Amino acid sequence: MSAFLQYLVSGIAVGCGFALLASGLVAIHRVTRVVNFAQGMFAVVGGMAAGSLLSAGLPHGAAEAAAVAVAGAIGLAVGIAATGKRGTSPQSALIVTLGVGFLAYAVEIMIWGDSPRSHAGLGGAVTLFGAHVQKQSFLVIGVAAAVFALLALFFGRTYTGKALSACASNPYAARTMGIDPVRMGLVAFALGGMLGGLAGVLLTPLQPISYNSDVLLITNGFAAAVLGGLNRPVVALAGALTLGIAEAMVAGYGEASYQTVVALALMLAIMMVRASRRTALQEEAAR
Amino acid sequence: MSVSVRKTPPAAAPAVRRRPSPGALAATAAAVLALLVPVLLPATQVSVYVLLLLSATVVVGLSMLMGFAGQVSLGQASFTMIGGYTAALTATHGVPTWLGLLLAPAVAAACAALVGVPLLRLRGHQLAFATLAIQLILLSLVGRQDWTGGDIGLQGVPRLRVAGYEFAGEISYAYLALGALGLVVLITRHIVASRPGRGLRALATSEVAAASSGVPVAVYKQTVFSLSAGFAGLAGGIYAFYIGYVAPGSFPVLLSFEYVVMVVVGGAGTIWGALAGATAITLLLQLLNDIGTREGMPASAPTVLSYAIYGVLLIVVVLFLPKGLVPSATAWWDRRRASKPTEE
Amino acid sequence: MSPPVIEVADLVVRYGTATALDRVGLTVRAGELVALIGPNGAGKTSLVNAVLGVLRPAAGRVQLRGRAGLVPEGRQMFDDLTVEDNLALGAWRRRRAKGARDTARVYEVLPQLADLRGRRAGSLSGGQQQMVAFGRALMADPEVIVVDELSLGLAPLVTADLAEHLRALNAERGLAVLLIEQNARLALDLCGRGYVLEAGRIRAEGTAADLAAGPDVADAYLGGRAGGKGER
Repeated sequence: MSAFLQYLVSGIAVGCGFALLASGLVAIHRVTRVVNFAQGMFAVVGGMAAGSLLSAGLPHGAAEAAAVAVAGAIGLAVGIAATGKRGTSPQSALIVTLGVGFLAYAVEIMIWGDSPRSHAGLGGAVTLFGAHVQKQSFLVIGVAAAVFALLALFFGRTYTGKALSACASNPYAARTMGIDPVRMGLVAFALGGMLGGLAGVLLTPLQPISYNSDVLLITNGFAAAVLGGLNRPVVALAGALTLGIAEAMVAGYGEASYQTVVALALMLAIMMVRASRRTALQEEAAR
Repeated sequence: MSVSVRKTPPAAAPAVRRRPSPGALAATAAAVLALLVPVLLPATQVSVYVLLLLSATVVVGLSMLMGFAGQVSLGQASFTMIGGYTAALTATHGVPTWLGLLLAPAVAAACAALVGVPLLRLRGHQLAFATLAIQLILLSLVGRQDWTGGDIGLQGVPRLRVAGYEFAGEISYAYLALGALGLVVLITRHIVASRPGRGLRALATSEVAAASSGVPVAVYKQTVFSLSAGFAGLAGGIYAFYIGYVAPGSFPVLLSFEYVVMVVVGGAGTIWGALAGATAITLLLQLLNDIGTREGMPASAPTVLSYAIYGVLLIVVVLFLPKGLVPSATAWWDRRRASKPTEE
Repeated sequence: MSPPVIEVADLVVRYGTATALDRVGLTVRAGELVALIGPNGAGKTSLVNAVLGVLRPAAGRVQLRGRAGLVPEGRQMFDDLTVEDNLALGAWRRRRAKGARDTARVYEVLPQLADLRGRRAGSLSGGQQQMVAFGRALMADPEVIVVDELSLGLAPLVTADLAEHLRALNAERGLAVLLIEQNARLALDLCGRGYVLEAGRIRAEGTAADLAAGPDVADAYLGGRAGGKGER
């Protein structure tokens, strides 16, 4: 029982991290139709930056916030590269985000080296029904929950949030009303950057990251987001939590190295099932 | 060493032969050069040439897949791996090596055919991710099975023997790889110039339009996918005999990305583009490797430089040279010719 | 006389190699009701997009003096947003102005919308959506309202009701109207002046009475008469 609880909590925590990433992917895709391959990179940069800022003496809270801001700025930069030039198709934009990801690898290695790094989060652990659970896990879950509530408020209650939803819902109408889809796209990218960065800041104390941790992160983030066709944040959230828990269970009870295979196989299965239901006409119309 | 890029003949080559076009001349020149290179290069550089040729073999297929069928594959190295492992496994279990070499592309193509049925229903970014996912799954599984040698892989792959001749030296593998590349180019050229080839090109722009024109979309996509997998498998098979050793680490995800960079930079959907891209990137990587391993450079320098170059290249080419080097160069050449008053 | 609210001259719009609009010119003066009629595919929506700045023309001049509110073809709702949110977004261009986002004025003019304010726009009927589209256009506090295909997909009774709203808005507030319509009769009943667009060119212009009486409208829809006033 205690083992189960341990896996469950750590699975939910990691799932929350995936969910933050998936939300970023969805936010960007809804508004710009671009799949942001660099989403995992935001998490890596966020985590690494937080570590550096803490080592530089910045207090907890400030360091993490600054790291998230940095990730947001990088998100904006990616958005400019991917969508700034008129006429860049979503396919080309995808490859551009891939390129930015590579460039980021180079920069990350130069700044932080190529070995895994971590930083201290909420240290210590509690014992819950005999399970040894890290306090950081609760922090991750709590912060993620708060952020999702804020996101819902942002998109539902603020004028800019509504404009973003409008862009996603009907780009033509939005343009006729003076809502600039490129600017809104950049807002979405900056938001995606912050969400990704936050995921990195929260998860790094639990699991050290290095420059190539983004592959697993984006694979899981994408797997969750694709459940909702990259357009539905609530579905992505549910998917991310499921993935996190499933992987934790596989790692705990089975073989740790198979957890990725689980995520990937699940994602593939779902994608193929959904694809067999849509026709080519619908896909092209959606593009 | 570089492949001189001149005006290429139109892809749908007319059946009537006229006087040798600049494209045919360029092709002949390139072929002659390619044949001479292994004997002209210093021994240490021949291995680079071999790897270049093997990459080019894969990239010709990938370029066809991405340019014609319009499908982005981020996991093409999976098929190289399948080819390599097929060759290695059969050869280390007593199967004659020439048979192993033939099996490599066959098995890779068969796997592609199998996986392709559900996979090719996906489009765009979903297909891209799915191919990446497949490679990650494959790497994970292969690295854990005992019969594939696990993480360490298979060692001691015997040298390739065909009809009594044993491929032993660098130069012999160079010519083998060149032969494979030549074969692959011929097959592709034949397909591109044929009627099915035109149907293929229609696929890249719009599947709906192609389908309504009677193009059997699913069959074509599947064929191109399997064929490109076969090419990759062949390269993998040769690689196995050349290096004598295969492991999951020989076919990382990064390799798939390298292939994509080669296709994008050279220009998707053209054979010259594939060759130019493979050549350019391989040489660039060598250069970076040399710079990165010089005295005083940190240990991570080669990695940093190659990532930086991949990134910059992808971004710059996609944004500013969207069709890739070769099509952009030929377009520029065409514009120059068009503005000249006299006939060439 | 003050300059026209909408002034289009020698407008050329191309999509790739196809020319959608070929040297089109029209004007809408303050307080005028102007019709642009023509069959499907004549290029009417391209003209609308060019006037609103959504499309960049290949050549020619478009001048919009004042704010334009658009009632788009097919309503173009933000389906997942509420009626209230749809309306509020109509004020986006003026969002920095105080009180711009206040939807009360729209509910005054279109009281039927007040009951629907919390409903999801995607769940409304065609007529209701068209009313929301009207409201959205009004939120921009425009000098001219451009209506692209008022009657498309709507029952005649609903269309007549909306046309009446347009007439009232024009009479009471001096709101200029550019009505793009396939239904020539409806357009010419409402408007004082009009243009006939066919295959990307202005085929005729004049007062509503003249156009209604003349052959150009019918010809544009029926594709010209044999041995008629030859042109092209």
